[in-house]
Amino acid sequence: MTAGEGSDAEVIARVLSGDAEAFGELITRYEGGLLRFATRMLGSRDAAADAVAEGLVRAYRHLASCRDPAHFRTWVFRIVANRCKSHLARRPVGDVSLDDAPPVAAPENAEAAFERNDQLERLERALAMLAPEKREAFVLKHLDGMSYEEMSAVTGERIPTLKMRVHRAREALLAALKES
Amino acid sequence: MSQELDPRIHRALDGELDRAALTPDERALVERLDAAARALSGVPAVPGFAQRVMGIIRRPLRSPVERFRQWLTARHPVTVSLRPVYSVIIAVLLVALLWRGPGSGPLPLLGEHEGVAQFVARFPEAHSVAVVGAFNDWRPEATPLSDDDHDGVWDARVILPAGSHEYMFVVDGERWVSDPMAGRYVDDGFGRQNAVMEVRPVRSE
Repeated sequence: MTAGEGSDAEVIARVLSGDAEAFGELITRYEGGLLRFATRMLGSRDAAADAVAEGLVRAYRHLASCRDPAHFRTWVFRIVANRCKSHLARRPVGDVSLDDAPPVAAPENAEAAFERNDQLERLERALAMLAPEKREAFVLKHLDGMSYEEMSAVTGERIPTLKMRVHRAREALLAALKES
Repeated sequence: MSQELDPRIHRALDGELDRAALTPDERALVERLDAAARALSGVPAVPGFAQRVMGIIRRPLRSPVERFRQWLTARHPVTVSLRPVYSVIIAVLLVALLWRGPGSGPLPLLGEHEGVAQFVARFPEAHSVAVVGAFNDWRPEATPLSDDDHDGVWDARVILPAGSHEYMFVVDGERWVSDPMAGRYVDDGFGRQNAVMEVRPVRSE
């Protein structure tokens, strides 16, 4: 990523040379994607904000160990993915909350919005029902738009394994939509 | 129950196959999944998130000693999952460990100027023995001695303020007897002798 004030590698070099405030630039670049990933993984915006904040602080503290600053994105996603796994491990089995209400519909298109919200709720539920590793693969692929190579760097899994997980997730979500 | 999709659909979604090569039905499924992904992508932002994280980062790191101290004093949730049968076994073991019979249980915590007085006397024929003194207003019912193994040796441990304490034994509720094993005696003014016990504060032991 090279938007804003230089590439990730340049920003990281500034942080490591003592300009801690420059890390804010990296947060701004990736908070949207990381929060989206964590929210879909944990089913809760509050839990996701905690997991991403923990992950970013951890990334800052261990920034010197980021061996390839040009691939900071996959590195920080891996850290946050691990935080999400820790959060999930602390929950009772099968407990993925869905505490984020869909957006409130404007009165003039309430009926269409209701239908969309209903469908979104169904999708969220189907996503939450997936095994965490399938949910992770689907979210990285389709919501964060990663290539299988990047997904492999984030998860440490082989590409064929990730493809299989994405395929199964797609099928489960389509089945959920068909029921509507 | 989910149905397996045609591999061509997956390949198109993975960008390995031109979508124009799909049949209209296949393309409809691909578009449906695209729409689902778009719908799920809409996650509301967290206001002030970057500032919150930078606020944590700006805080100076606590020293390892400080972090250890906080770990020691902070509350930590502990979850223990047990089969009911093990819960019962543990409960029985705890009861067995804690139950040491009457009179021999742990004494309450001692104050700085208190000590433990142990009264022991041998009265083989007695049905009850008590110790009386100023510390219990000379009331025979206040401090009974016990003889759990019925060997005629009665005893009791009592927490008393450090210092000298005059006392007597009361056998079977009516016979007042001086402790024959006492190291010191004083006249009680009624023609008998009270035994004297020195209680030392536990701190000095």
